[in-house]
Amino acid sequence: MIRTLFLIGAFLFLGFSKICSAQEGFSAQEVIAKSRLAFFYAANDMRVKISMELINQNGHKRVRELTMLRKDYEDGGEQKYFMYFHKPADVKDTTFMVYKYPDKDDDRWLFIPAIDLVKRIAANDKFSSFVGSDFTYEDVSGRKPEEDTHHLLRKEVLNDNNCFVIESIPRGKAEYTKRISWMDENNFLPLKEEFYDKQNELYRQFEAQEVKEINGIMTITKRVMRNLKTGHRTEVVFQEVEYNSGITDDIFSERYLRKAPMEWVK
Amino acid sequence: MRLVEFSINRPKLVVFLTIIVTLLFAIQFPKIRIDTDPENMLKADEPIRVFHKNVKKEFGIEEMIVLGIAREDGIFHKDSLERIKRISDGILRIKGVIADDVMSLTVTNNVVGMDGTLNVRPPMVDVPETDAEIERLRKEVLDHPLFKDRIVSSDGKGSSIYVPIESKDIAHEIGEKIKVLYKKENGPERYYLAGLPIAEDTFGSEMFVQMGLTAPMAGVLLMIVFFIIFRRISFVVPPMMVAMLSVAWTMGGLIGSGFTVHIMSSMIPVFLMPIAICETVHILSDFYEKLPQVNDRKKAILAVFDELVKPLFFAPITTAVGFADLALADIPPVKVFGIFIAIGIVIAWFLSMTFLPALLMLIKEKRPIVKEETGSKVLGWIGRFSLGKSMAVVLTGAILLAISAYGITTLKVNDNPVKWFKSHHPIRVADRELNKLIGGTYISYLVLESEAEDEIKKPEVMGYMEALQKHLETNPIVGKTTSIVDVVKRVNYVLHDEDQRSQILPKDQNTTGQYLFLFLMSSSPDELDHFVDYTYQKANIWVQLKSGDNRDMTAVVEDVENYIKGNPLPDGIKVQWSGLPFLNITWQKLMVNGMLKATIGTWWVVFLLMVLQFRSIWWGIVGMLPLVFAVVFSYGLIGFIGKEYDMPIAVCSTLALGLGDDFAIHFISRFRQRFRETKELKQAMELTMGGEPALAIFRNALVVGLGFFPMVMATLTPYVTVGLFFGALAFFSGVTTLIFLPALIGSFKKVLLKI
Repeated sequence: MIRTLFLIGAFLFLGFSKICSAQEGFSAQEVIAKSRLAFFYAANDMRVKISMELINQNGHKRVRELTMLRKDYEDGGEQKYFMYFHKPADVKDTTFMVYKYPDKDDDRWLFIPAIDLVKRIAANDKFSSFVGSDFTYEDVSGRKPEEDTHHLLRKEVLNDNNCFVIESIPRGKAEYTKRISWMDENNFLPLKEEFYDKQNELYRQFEAQEVKEINGIMTITKRVMRNLKTGHRTEVVFQEVEYNSGITDDIFSERYLRKAPMEWVK
Repeated sequence: MRLVEFSINRPKLVVFLTIIVTLLFAIQFPKIRIDTDPENMLKADEPIRVFHKNVKKEFGIEEMIVLGIAREDGIFHKDSLERIKRISDGILRIKGVIADDVMSLTVTNNVVGMDGTLNVRPPMVDVPETDAEIERLRKEVLDHPLFKDRIVSSDGKGSSIYVPIESKDIAHEIGEKIKVLYKKENGPERYYLAGLPIAEDTFGSEMFVQMGLTAPMAGVLLMIVFFIIFRRISFVVPPMMVAMLSVAWTMGGLIGSGFTVHIMSSMIPVFLMPIAICETVHILSDFYEKLPQVNDRKKAILAVFDELVKPLFFAPITTAVGFADLALADIPPVKVFGIFIAIGIVIAWFLSMTFLPALLMLIKEKRPIVKEETGSKVLGWIGRFSLGKSMAVVLTGAILLAISAYGITTLKVNDNPVKWFKSHHPIRVADRELNKLIGGTYISYLVLESEAEDEIKKPEVMGYMEALQKHLETNPIVGKTTSIVDVVKRVNYVLHDEDQRSQILPKDQNTTGQYLFLFLMSSSPDELDHFVDYTYQKANIWVQLKSGDNRDMTAVVEDVENYIKGNPLPDGIKVQWSGLPFLNITWQKLMVNGMLKATIGTWWVVFLLMVLQFRSIWWGIVGMLPLVFAVVFSYGLIGFIGKEYDMPIAVCSTLALGLGDDFAIHFISRFRQRFRETKELKQAMELTMGGEPALAIFRNALVVGLGFFPMVMATLTPYVTVGLFFGALAFFSGVTTLIFLPALIGSFKKVLLKI
């Protein structure tokens, strides 16, 4: 009798804890993994015109305008990026290329037109700023789910969207000490993220401000990253988004770095 | 007079009421707010302060603490580097530290080329393991102008961490936390914590200690001096009580009405005490002279106030009006200082008229009163001497005055908040050592402003900055300059495979633009903010000075002015200085000129009051002389001994007002009283000099001169200065009053006495 009760108790306890850790059949780890694919690996390739405004605490702006081409080689795996800068005026024709590998440092190259030089740029860590914005390379190209311990804090409605609220604590070296993400239950896009620093204070905040369906794919077309400590923020707008337009492999080469493929970047 | 009568009739009530009021003021004390920011010497809307604030905002500059880590045989050892790493990591975690802007070996980005790859990263992300790696690190940082003499000393013996903090008033607190970090390490390294904010904020914390320690110490010594001079407790307690209560009421009022206690207002107690004491000493001296004659305390008190009511009223009121006149000065803390001293003097006067007589009624004395003989004999002899040889004495005085005036012309105006600490204080030591080690802990900013965006990237502007920096670095006071020019040159150098010939600026704007873009590609968005504004309309040259002396900063400012005269700025470019050292010279100028103007203004007011009071221009002039003499002698002396004219000294000049004024008014009004009675110069002078009036003045001079001597032991030099200066002023005011006044009266008796 006692044994039966104990078994029932244990069963109930296990069942309960399962509900707690895995809402609607997903564990926190799974939500993060799905989100990564939805956010960083949508379709097989992508072409987008990005306008980026870097705004400091005094409201002064620096504008970056670029066309970005992205090609995936494996979902969750290797990717290549090609960027062509239209603005600011004195950097026009500058191009930037990144080969992203999930398990090792990226390869990055920059073409400096004024001295006609292609220079490899070291990628020491994935936490450094992406083209001088408040976004890090990791914010732009993702982070492996295994690098953090994830924990579902609660479910919450954020601007009419049901969200998973997940806390992620890095296992190894990271730029933050704690990250809290609001993931849309329907499409797994991150709608909000909060990053805590070494002083355990909230210092960066990501927000998706506009989500649109493009070629059947839910895409964040307006986003902002705020640095709460410096008052600096970066606002990003995606325009002319195209998916699966068949970007060829040869685009991602030094030849095109020196002479940008105008049919793609115009 | 009615006040006095009331008080002697109902002494217990008066004492009781005084205690109640004192308690009311005392409960204000916990509300105290300390303000040690010398910046507050300037009005909040002073243009230079506004500009400094804008520069700070525009270029994301915060107030900086600098931690130096030094090791005799060099810091390029694995264990030292590990310590540097641990300490910088610890510093980044301290709340109030702006972690993003910390500069150190482990967090400040460097641009390097390695195996054909451009790398923007701090030189020491991880501590190198092998000797070869350590050597490479050493080469990397010493090869780089943005690191050499800034983050690492050129001899490799020291490294520094620049710690920007959210506000100046937490500098001391953060400094203490940094101390905890390095005290945990047991290596051969020595640590130095410096920087203006920490000096200023530490000054604040020590000011508390000094106020709590030195002022009571001065009080105790005053009592001892009192006791030695008067040999009776009943002579010690009343003046001390009146002085203490005046201070308590005034400071309670100041704190209660919401003013912060600034470096200046913290000196109010020290200034007020001697002035308050002087009044009571006059009353007591007269009282104990009269008491044996009438043998009734009530009658004696009434007689005293009958004789003294005029000088007792005019002396403090004149002084109070003089101090109140400081309110016209353009320096906010000086206004507060002047007004509250004036209020304190009125309080002291009020207490001398009420509380003091009440207290005298309540004291029971058994010992018979012995008349002070020796002092009066000596003073009487001095009176006869200077009256007899009046012309000679006046001439000697005039010659001394001329010599002192010459001494004043040799005065060097200088100040340096770091020098407010004595030379062996850890802050002074850190300051000296660190400035030997790196390019300077005093950081000034030279801002170039243009009229349009992107102007700074123009080759002629970049070139001008480069040349200006080169010129500045030839100045021995300037340890190091850094600007956007150094970043661009560095990128050029690295992109050209570290060819020495490419340590130069590119020739066109696009290349500069692309270099900066490249640099920003790999660093945080605000990485260059300390050097350029967001739209490349303004640039900021960091000028690190090895000395925080205002005089040295002034010399650098003049140097730049001359350079610009010889090398005109590019079209549309303006330059402007900013930073704490520059703010300090600005307020120094205001302070020196402001105090001078305020003091001279005050003297006119005092002079007018004396003329009114004595109803004679001539007596007014004579009455002003002890003041003039005391100040000219004191400053002349400072000039001769080579002490620099700094803020505390400027403030001290006002004290001459309090003392010289009091001595002169008492002397003159009581001499004239006696002259009216006797109609005879010699006899009147004998009564004044050989009697109670001169004795009281002599006692006052002695008490003030000696009583504040313990301040010399204070760890903060402004207190030391004030202590020494009090001695000098008391001495000179006393000497001029007791030696020169009789001689002057003798020499100019025709105009003064119409005989």
